[in-house]
Amino acid sequence: MNATDTNLYEVLELIDAATSQDIDRAYRIARATYQPASTATYSLFSDDENAEILQRIEEAYAVLSDPRMRREYDARLRRDRASRHTAPPSAAPKMVALPVRENEPPAPSVPDYSLDEPDEPDDGVYDGPALRRVRIRHGIELDEISARTKINESHLSAIEQNRYDHLPAGVYLRGFLREFAKCLKLDPKAVTESYMALFIAHDRRPGRA
Amino acid sequence: MNVRRRATRTVTPEAARLPARVWAIGGGKGGIGKSFIAANVAATAARSGRQVLLIDADLGGANLHTCFGMPAGRGPNLSDFIEDRIQDLDKAAEETPIPGLRLIRGALGHAGTADTSHEQRTQLVQASRGLGADLVIFDLAAGMDRATLDFFLETDESMLVATPEPTSIENAYSFLRASFYRKLAHGLRDSPVRDLVREAMDQRNERGIRTPTDLIAEIERLEPAAAENLRKLISSFRPRLVVNQVRNREEVKLGFSIRSVCRKYFGLDVEYLGYVSYDDLVWRSIKERRPLVVAYPQSDSAIYIRQIVKKMLQP
Ligand SMILES: Nc1ncnc2c1ncn2[C@@H]1O[C@H](COP(=O)(O)OP(=O)(O)O)[C@@H](O)[C@H]1O
Ligand SMILES: [Mg+2]
Repeated sequence: MNATDTNLYEVLELIDAATSQDIDRAYRIARATYQPASTATYSLFSDDENAEILQRIEEAYAVLSDPRMRREYDARLRRDRASRHTAPPSAAPKMVALPVRENEPPAPSVPDYSLDEPDEPDDGVYDGPALRRVRIRHGIELDEISARTKINESHLSAIEQNRYDHLPAGVYLRGFLREFAKCLKLDPKAVTESYMALFIAHDRRPGRA
Repeated sequence: MNVRRRATRTVTPEAARLPARVWAIGGGKGGIGKSFIAANVAATAARSGRQVLLIDADLGGANLHTCFGMPAGRGPNLSDFIEDRIQDLDKAAEETPIPGLRLIRGALGHAGTADTSHEQRTQLVQASRGLGADLVIFDLAAGMDRATLDFFLETDESMLVATPEPTSIENAYSFLRASFYRKLAHGLRDSPVRDLVREAMDQRNERGIRTPTDLIAEIERLEPAAAENLRKLISSFRPRLVVNQVRNREEVKLGFSIRSVCRKYFGLDVEYLGYVSYDDLVWRSIKERRPLVVAYPQSDSAIYIRQIVKKMLQP
């Protein structure tokens, strides 16, 4: 590969305005992508090439993840761009930029029947599987919810699987359900009441302490 | 298929009412779920109220009819149209048990679409637009013969299916590479850089062009005037990725990795459309000969499929 004229943002496939979360996320993906024996690069890049790319990724991340170094780098980037604009075009370094997307052709003129499914379950009951379906529709993974809410992933998973025996006492569970519901943009009150009713009914079954 | 006759075929006013969108579903390797996804994407779109036409372009191993529980058919099929036994593609379109969804079968054990010309394939895609469907979906064969590549390139949207296994990834990349060069070779056939593209297709070329990214850089260097055209061509090639048979979180993320590799290696912007989990209900639905989204609409995989269709239909 000789097209390595890319800037640090391009190395991590980021836009200049990327947030620090964007940078962390891009870095995590890049590390997984270009590790030795990676499935994603199989048959295209050799381990040596992966190592070379990974090295550039580490360098880019070292700068972009450090606020002070990033500010300095951004300033240099701006200066470079400004001077490039004033230079004669032939002096501009050749860059392989990603193609700009052309305007999409117009969408078909059919009535747009929605594929949106309501998040509220038909029977109004928010049990574990109903919550799970909403989560999957929203494309959120359990570990993301866990990171956001600080609720242990095993608890979230027990909620989704209606494994009441693995769930903590009522007050804690209530708190978990509220946070879980918020992440899914559901009504926390409706979810908590619905789920707690199931939990309590289970708890009161004959033969239970 | 007689090209001239097809070109002059009049389209009924009713059919002309709606400009159809045409999608192709491919992936290079067999057995990775292209037909499963094609059938379920088609069924989902039909159930959302669209008129959908599904075309089994896998003439060697056509089996989409089975996914809908339709018996082996004796009626006209795609090969009959290609080989000029029927003049009207519409005659090969058959109702499926799903309202709003029609199927054009391939023929089992047939030689294939490989011996058609580029022009004939373009004509077939054009003809499929005129049958009154809102959405036409081509289910492609495994392998990368020219016909399959052309369908992948000539349709409005192309979906690349891969599973999280090295063999499937390898084939997906070869498939992308072959389509990419075919697109360039065809689009730049009257351009001064035509020979450069041809040279680059040989992995051991003397210029040291190994990746499409290298080729683009070389063209920018040697023929800046041709580069604009090239950029346009590349930006019109936007395959979208679906990872099928995903078993864990790592495999979900593989889609993002493939996206990154496509950008670095091909200079292509490949959107990661979504994934479908590995699910026993998939083979159960196939055994029952009903699409998963109909048989098990509440299953995880059915939800994933609906998400994919939703994204595909976004303007
Ligand atoms: N998501 C999935 N989960 C489980 N099995 C699957 C899945 N997708 C596909 N399969 C299995 O793979 C087989 C091959 O799928 P098919 O769609 O015929 O592949 P292709 O068209 O790519 O050759 C199917 O019969 C099915 O049993
Ligand atoms: Mg198939």
